[in-house]
Amino acid sequence: MSKTAAIRAVIEATPDVPVLYTTGYACRIAHSIRDSDNHFYMTGSMGLIASIGAGVARETGVATVVVDGDGSILMNPVGMIVAGADPTLPLVHIVLDDRRYDSTGGQEVPSARLDLPVLARGSGYGSVHTVGSAAALGDVLGKVLTDCRSPVFIRCVIDEPDEPVPGRIGRDLRSHAGRFGAYLRRFG
Amino acid sequence: MSTLTTSALSLPAQLRNELREQGFGPHFGTPCGVLAPLYEAMDGGDGVTTIPREDNAVGVAAGAALSGRSPIVLMQNSGFGQSVNAIASLVVPYGIPILFIVSMRGVAPDDTAENEGMGTLTEPICRLLGLPTVHLDSAADAAAVAASLAEQVIVRREPAVLLVAPDAFGWRA
Repeated sequence: MSKTAAIRAVIEATPDVPVLYTTGYACRIAHSIRDSDNHFYMTGSMGLIASIGAGVARETGVATVVVDGDGSILMNPVGMIVAGADPTLPLVHIVLDDRRYDSTGGQEVPSARLDLPVLARGSGYGSVHTVGSAAALGDVLGKVLTDCRSPVFIRCVIDEPDEPVPGRIGRDLRSHAGRFGAYLRRFG
Repeated sequence: MSTLTTSALSLPAQLRNELREQGFGPHFGTPCGVLAPLYEAMDGGDGVTTIPREDNAVGVAAGAALSGRSPIVLMQNSGFGQSVNAIASLVVPYGIPILFIVSMRGVAPDDTAENEGMGTLTEPICRLLGLPTVHLDSAADAAAVAASLAEQVIVRREPAVLLVAPDAFGWRA
């Protein structure tokens, strides 16, 4: 599947839950497919999307989805350890694994010997999946979101090229945080 | 009303009580020797969730703040150095209300060489990022400090930093 197809499947499966997208192309693709109040676009702070999502999941108690990348997860795998440490955390951690630093020129991620699902299990995630198609991603996501009470890890194998990358997120990040905060308050 | 009660308490216990009364929480932290008395005082109160790396603590606190809370992150200034990009690219541009309680290793009476760099850099970094700072030493008025921090973080919904002197809670070089 392509990154765009994966993100489209995520958006279709998550109309009513908080979804946080990592920096690079993930948030730009999500923003261009459908910009919605339940979306948070993390434009900087590479490596921290799982930690921010863990904070949202913990405080709202609502199933919270984060869309991460393999490069960003390797930059700061402590986020997985933080999420996995709480067996009651309703966090769905999706990783779009294309083995490339896509937004910086396609350099290879040094993950040839890394088993991300094993890392997730070892960090404490109770449920770990690998999917190879957007349909399979939608199926797994639909199932885990019906009753999410512990951290879930979904590795998506990205092996198809993307459409031309959409434009950057705008500069008004304060308004963006305010919109997402207003969305989260409905769960408070 | 609580002046008589709190004045008999240690500074960490006073600060914990005053911050709690102002409405701060939840608490996240990466352990630090200077802050250990406050960490322990908070553990006996609302609890501190330990996060093994400071920038991840900033991330989790950001999620809590987006959810409407007024979180506290406890860290040493070495960890503040680790967190500069998280603060510069997430907390500041998105305007996320977090109270950072940062111990100031590398300033008197701490003369350890490995902490000198961040001892020198911490305040200028805060200033350059536009983060307001409040200082805490052993003679501080916990109620006044907590009220000033609450005005910034809870009322104005902006981040703030409490810089804790190495010996504020009794740490010795």
